[in-house]
Amino acid sequence: MSPANERAVEPLRAWMPIARKVLTPLASVALAVLIGSLIVKLSGGDPVAASMALFSGAFGTPNQVGETLLRSTPLLIVGLGLAWGFRTGLFNIGAEGQLFVGGLVGAWLGLLLGGLTPWVSLPLLLLAGMAGGAAWAFVPAVLKAKVGAHEVITTMMFTYIARYLVSWLVVGPLKAPGPIPQTRQLPQSAILPLLRDVSAALPFGRAHLGIVIGVALAVVVWLLLKYTTLGYEARAVGFNPAAAENGGISIAATTVKSLCISGALAGLAGCIEVLGIHHRLFDQFSSGFGFTGIAVALLAKNHPLAVVPAAILFGALSAGATTMQLEANVSTKLISIIQGLVIFFVAAEAVVDWVIRARQKKAVSADAAR
Amino acid sequence: MPLGDVLNPDLFASAVRIATPLALAAIGGTISERSGVTNIALEGIMLTGAFAGTAVALATGNTWIGVGAAIVFGILVSLIHAFASITLKADQIVSATALNIGALGVTGYLMEVMYGHPGTTDPVTTLPPLFNFQGPATGVAGTVFQWVDGVFLSYTPIVYIAIVLAIVLNWAMYRTKWGLRLRALGEHPRAADTVGISVVRGRYLAVLASGALAGLAGANLTLEQVGTFTENMTNGRGFIALAANIFGRWTPGGSYLAALLFGFADALQIKLQVFRDVIQIPPQFYYMVPYVLTVIVLAGFMGRAIAPAAIGKPYEKEKSS
Amino acid sequence: MPVLELRGITKIFPGVVANDAVDLSLDRGEILALLGENGAGKSTLMNVVYGLLAPDGGEISVEGKPVRIRSPRAAIDLGIGMVHQHFMLIEPLTVTENIVLGREPSRRGVIDFGAARAAVRELAERYGLHVDPDVRVADLSVGMQQRVEILKALYQGAHILILDEPTAVLTPQEVRELFAVVRTLTAEGLAVVFITHKLEEVMSVADRIVVMRAGKVVGETRPAQTDEAGLARMMVGRDVVLRIEKKPATPGDVVLSVEGLKVSDDRDLETVRGLSLQVRAGEVVGVAGVDGNGQRELVESLVGLRRPSAGTIRLRDRDITRDSVRDTIDAGVSHVPEDRHRRGLVLEFDLAENIILGDHDASPYSSFGVMHPPAIAATARRRIEDYDVRAPSERVLAGNLSGGNQQKLVLARELGRDPDLLIAAQPTRGLDVGAIEFVHRRILDERDAGKAVLLVSLELEEVLSMSDRILVIYEGRIVKELAAGEATAETVGYHMTGGGGTKLSGPAAPAPEDGGLKL
Repeated sequence: MSPANERAVEPLRAWMPIARKVLTPLASVALAVLIGSLIVKLSGGDPVAASMALFSGAFGTPNQVGETLLRSTPLLIVGLGLAWGFRTGLFNIGAEGQLFVGGLVGAWLGLLLGGLTPWVSLPLLLLAGMAGGAAWAFVPAVLKAKVGAHEVITTMMFTYIARYLVSWLVVGPLKAPGPIPQTRQLPQSAILPLLRDVSAALPFGRAHLGIVIGVALAVVVWLLLKYTTLGYEARAVGFNPAAAENGGISIAATTVKSLCISGALAGLAGCIEVLGIHHRLFDQFSSGFGFTGIAVALLAKNHPLAVVPAAILFGALSAGATTMQLEANVSTKLISIIQGLVIFFVAAEAVVDWVIRARQKKAVSADAAR
Repeated sequence: MPLGDVLNPDLFASAVRIATPLALAAIGGTISERSGVTNIALEGIMLTGAFAGTAVALATGNTWIGVGAAIVFGILVSLIHAFASITLKADQIVSATALNIGALGVTGYLMEVMYGHPGTTDPVTTLPPLFNFQGPATGVAGTVFQWVDGVFLSYTPIVYIAIVLAIVLNWAMYRTKWGLRLRALGEHPRAADTVGISVVRGRYLAVLASGALAGLAGANLTLEQVGTFTENMTNGRGFIALAANIFGRWTPGGSYLAALLFGFADALQIKLQVFRDVIQIPPQFYYMVPYVLTVIVLAGFMGRAIAPAAIGKPYEKEKSS
Repeated sequence: MPVLELRGITKIFPGVVANDAVDLSLDRGEILALLGENGAGKSTLMNVVYGLLAPDGGEISVEGKPVRIRSPRAAIDLGIGMVHQHFMLIEPLTVTENIVLGREPSRRGVIDFGAARAAVRELAERYGLHVDPDVRVADLSVGMQQRVEILKALYQGAHILILDEPTAVLTPQEVRELFAVVRTLTAEGLAVVFITHKLEEVMSVADRIVVMRAGKVVGETRPAQTDEAGLARMMVGRDVVLRIEKKPATPGDVVLSVEGLKVSDDRDLETVRGLSLQVRAGEVVGVAGVDGNGQRELVESLVGLRRPSAGTIRLRDRDITRDSVRDTIDAGVSHVPEDRHRRGLVLEFDLAENIILGDHDASPYSSFGVMHPPAIAATARRRIEDYDVRAPSERVLAGNLSGGNQQKLVLARELGRDPDLLIAAQPTRGLDVGAIEFVHRRILDERDAGKAVLLVSLELEEVLSMSDRILVIYEGRIVKELAAGEATAETVGYHMTGGGGTKLSGPAAPAPEDGGLKL
């Protein structure tokens, strides 16, 4: 073996991954926004006015900051779940369905538990929402673990099933009196307090306690991933299932656990959405948070702490979109184009990663090649 | 419940009609996956094809040009997927998800920009059935005619195109140079490379072909079945098509038959809805049928079908091993 | 004029010069052995010739004409064929489909299978490489698959044939058959490059020998002008201990006892068919056999990765037949897997995370599901030191280590656990001499410390030199047990093909005197 081989690592490269982790997602967003502007321009709009409207719509007033936080909340929580799944090598594309079930369970139990004090009923409802989301992920998880049915297809199918389930419940058994397909308003004990009611220093309109729960969860998920055997096993299976299995880790059990954790967080996001803003269930209560969450998690490179800024970014885009439509006459649909672009660039950015990793691997395996 | 109201030629005819977009996309998925590239983007490609077909048909007033446009745009979107997954070696599922979300956004956005109202486009003239036979209306001869005409002769052109493609491609996959090389690419790309077959070219062609087929599937939805484009009208069909491809064991013929099974279940569910006052089941549960069936099919058959060995893996040419 | 001439070929991988200004020439009708240990640059050089790797410098001439070989297609067009160490065969396809792939006889795109089959038959006839053209490659033995590979190269019109480590997966008898085939080919005017690291093969088959070391050609000779020791010195660059020093074994109680074991593979075919064996404390039991005779499934069932359909596995007096990997580890079984990249290590994990894999949910590394980083780091540092893993810290990713250091890392985990039974599958695959010596030494140390060791290897020389008892596996059963003293490559090889030997042909080479050199 040549001396060149003996040099096991290149310490100078150690900082590179960290810089890349921060810079390339930013570049992805910048590029996506640039293309978004181009689309606006080409369809006869004014990209500058649109951006200004977007920005002021997201951050212009405390109320608008509140809207941004409001929309970031479900993205943050569902994004954490997706990140956990990705870390285990699972693509929970159907988080939207688990989110629906979480909202459904929250609303249903909330209506039942009207008599309790919020101190008891809120934690109970949030846990129930998580359980609902986890349960909805459980069947796809078991199918993945036992027969290898791809979770991308099964969780997606379960999303459609969940939507029809909710749409039946709000016109059927849970329907409130009146023409609108929705449930009754939740009792006060089942409603998450607004930030401005918690403290006068937080005058953020409709934003509620959910964002605080979300940020706290980001820290919790990060600690779980890094410092518990649960997280260790999830990462091991995500990186190399065969080696994990050889180390006594059950791939099937880890798959089920991870997809259920992912589902639990999605369910919590849906539950918080119902308890925090809508205070009732109706069939359009989520505007695709489960799908936007994919962009959030990928942009954060599946790092739980990075999910927070990524969620706020997409929350701001979503909150500002309405103002953009009103003031600059640009369709809110532009935002979902930008989401797609961000995911695409993050995926394509894996190229940068891949090139560098491949080079490192090559250096290592070159001795095997000779 | 009168059996004739359910078990009639129309049941089978609607099964074939419903199966057609699924089958076209599923065959597209088969070709792409046989070359080693997963194509979760079928959903977005189909949606793009459906929209482009409608928009161009509206603009030109010619539905067939719309069909052509659907195919061209299907190819264009799949070109992005091919570039990301073959050239850039990006994660194929992630890049395809980006396309699905992007396609939803772009079609929704353009619809508002072009037609000024969200939700749906203006209506378009649909393609008429290919044949129009007249036959006896009554008696045994009438019944026979109704069945033959209904089940075999009542369809629009793309329905027949799908059947022909399923048969021809199934033959081609096992009998032609193209088919042999395609199968080689998805099983062992390096082996194909070492005998001088270009992995990149073969995979690009396969992915583009799947785009053309999924685009055609979209054209069938708007230009033959519905007559307008509505937002997110594919409704998970791309994913169901992937399941059909798996159930059909990665063969064009199998994909078609699997799609036909889904089509039949869906057609039956629609027929049975007529009786929902008799058997008290809310319509939402009928709507769930294709999705539940997809899960059941995957659960039952996934373990038994053997996927192409190199599926989903980017090919690294200069890999030293 | 040489049919193939290389001048100054240089190939650089990041951080490593794999080929350093290599010159080589090949004549018509000759068998050139390209000798060197793992990592010397032989395969890289031939991959350059075959157009799979682009050289960073140098020139290639074929038949005296300078050429640039940018792709395998170009190489094939120049009459260069290559049989890769890992076969380039598509298992679900038939023999004919594999052979004609890329040059299918066809009319307007439709393959003429009749013509294809006839062409395959004719070639097989001409070179004596008989094989059923309609059978699926997946259903062929390894030796037959190699024939298909050679036929494929001949079908493509090769007159220069590169064989990359062709004997690695063959029995001694199959090796002799291969040599006979190669001689037939050269008699027909082909030129053959024979890549190997096995000295006795070189001595018996080569016309000329070129030795490579660390990316350079370090010598050229002929079998008549040298001997194995001389070749070994040239190859490694120092005197090599041809046989590993070891004390006589002092076997104790039975540690592992397997009775009537039946195991199926991923395709649900029963590959272990009623196998029984025992391993005692303080002995190395070697399992020799041709690849695909149930070794993988045997090992996987012993360590809990695969559930046997019948039979029992006992560890001392405990029945571990149905135990999970988790329980098997806890019972005191360690496993050095055959593929360290696939099963042995999580390359994206750092060294510390890899070292605790399998013990991660036990004290002192974690309690109640919470990991203890200081304890993990302390153990990792100690093991890295003990097992001589060359790395600046335990935080380095395993993927950044060289192959030898990765295998030391696997040993650091598996042996550091202090097991009762060590199961080592192909523990030295792809390693250089230094690392091989290290691994062998450590395994023998375990034996001397009273551990039971089961060594499963396709390298016959490794089994012969390491084992105190040798078991020959054939079609999922142990067909022969030999004491270390009575086993030679010939006797073991005879039983590796089921002891039948009826279908064997070709000239019988004299059995190597001392079992040769393990490298």
